Formats: sequence, C-alpha cells, structure tokens
Amino acid sequence: MRCEECSDKLDRFVDRELSDTEALQVQLHLEGCPECMDHYDFESHLKRLVKHSCECDKAPEAFREKLRQILS
Amino acid sequence: MAEPAAQTAFAEEALTHLDTLYRGALRLTHDPDQAQDLVQEAYLRALRYQHSYQAGTNMKAWLFAIMRNLFWDRFKGVRKEDVSLDDVGEFVLYDKLRDEGARPESDVLDKIAASEVVAAVDTLPPLHREVVLLVDVEGFSYKDAAETLGVPIGTVMSRLHRARQQLQKSLYDYAVESGIVRPSGMRQVPQQ
Ligand SMILES: [Zn+2]
Repeated sequence: MRCEECSDKLDRFVDRELSDTEALQVQLHLEGCPECMDHYDFESHLKRLVKHSCECDKAPEAFREKLRQILS
Repeated sequence: MAEPAAQTAFAEEALTHLDTLYRGALRLTHDPDQAQDLVQEAYLRALRYQHSYQAGTNMKAWLFAIMRNLFWDRFKGVRKEDVSLDDVGEFVLYDKLRDEGARPESDVLDKIAASEVVAAVDTLPPLHREVVLLVDVEGFSYKDAAETLGVPIGTVMSRLHRARQQLQKSLYDYAVESGIVRPSGMRQVPQQ
C-alpha cells in the first residue's frame, strides 16, 4: 500500500469502518511507515479529544426527573 | 396507545439515551433552555409514535433522528446559513504542524482546553456539526449516521472529512492566538 492510499483510508480506519482485510492492510502500512503512523496518531487523538470534550455535557438531573414524570 | 406497563418500559429505555439527545440538542441550539424544549418535544413525539419504532433496532439513532428533524423544522432559517465547507480547502492542522516543525504533532492537542474544542465544534455549520456529533461524540457507524440524517453514506463521509478539516483549522487558529504554537518557525512554547 502506498502512503496516498493509506491517507485516503485514514478516516475510515480511525472510525473503524474498513473491512477486516482493508484494516489489516492499513495496519501493516502504518507499522512500516512512521509518517503515516504519526498522522494516524494525530487523527485518532483528535477524535478522542472531540469526544471527551463534548461528552462533558450531560442532561441536568432535574430535567431527567421532569421527563420521567411527563413520560410515565 | 400502548399498555401502561409497556409504555413505562419504553419511556425508561428511551431515557437511557437522554444524555446523547441533550448533548446533541445543546450543540445544535447553543442554548440549554432551547435544548431542553427540543428534547422534551422529541420524547413526547417518540412516545406518540412508539409503534413506528421497531424493537431491536437502534433506539438511540431513532430518537436522535426525531430530535434533529424537530430542530430543522423549528429552525428552518438556520439551513440558509449552512455554508458549504468547500472553501476551507485541504487545510489540515497536522500537515501545518509537521511542515513547520512542531513535533510530535499530537502534543499540541494535549494543550488545547476542552472548552476550545467544544467552541470549535459549535462554529461548524449545523449539517457538518451533526455528523461530528453522531460519529465522533456518540460513536455512530457511518451507516447509522446516514440513516439518522437521511443522507447517503458518501455524504456522511464527505461532511465528516470537511468538518474535521474545519475543526483543525479552528484549533490551529486558536493554538496560534493563544501562543501554543507560533506561526513562523512553529516552535512549541515550552510549558512553565
Ligand atoms: Zn505511509
């Protein structure tokens, strides 16, 4: 696999959307290519950062209780 | 109408997805009160249409779809501001950092506060924002995201790619403004 192809598949690799075979090909490329591995680390780090940052918001407990009343 | 016991069980299960719906509504409306209104209305509608929910399928996706459809019904005007992100070009924070010698690139991300990341997500156009919320924050598959949003998987992928580029641009601008990276020479500022 060339770096270009790896780069094209990086989003889907990070999102676990590749088939097992494709994911394995990307994985093998990453293991032999420090540049793509760096890029992968960055993209997956960014994805985790977005998740953790946005997950801090949770529904207020009073709102949850209110909904429970309304829906029952 | 369903039997009371069945209705309660349905409501209980639906409420296990409250955080996801609330977070989504908050990121879409940017307002806690509007978010609560939107979520409450979504739950009432879900209860009313619970017969159209197929047991065993993805309830979180079904509920999210109800909530975001209500959002788009209510805020039709928002659609107009939904600019295409094509103008951003192939801006990638990673490339920028690498070209200018900030290594490892990933370390820069550790210095960016969660509130700045949320702010960057909030500035995405809503159609792009909701893809990030579903895929990155809530862990939806492309297929589930596509069904929730009523678009083809290819659209999910292209919006996601554009959204991530725009996010990286926003975070880069923030990193430069706050001195985490310097635009020329791009050396990381040593930590105190
Ligand atoms: Zn490579």
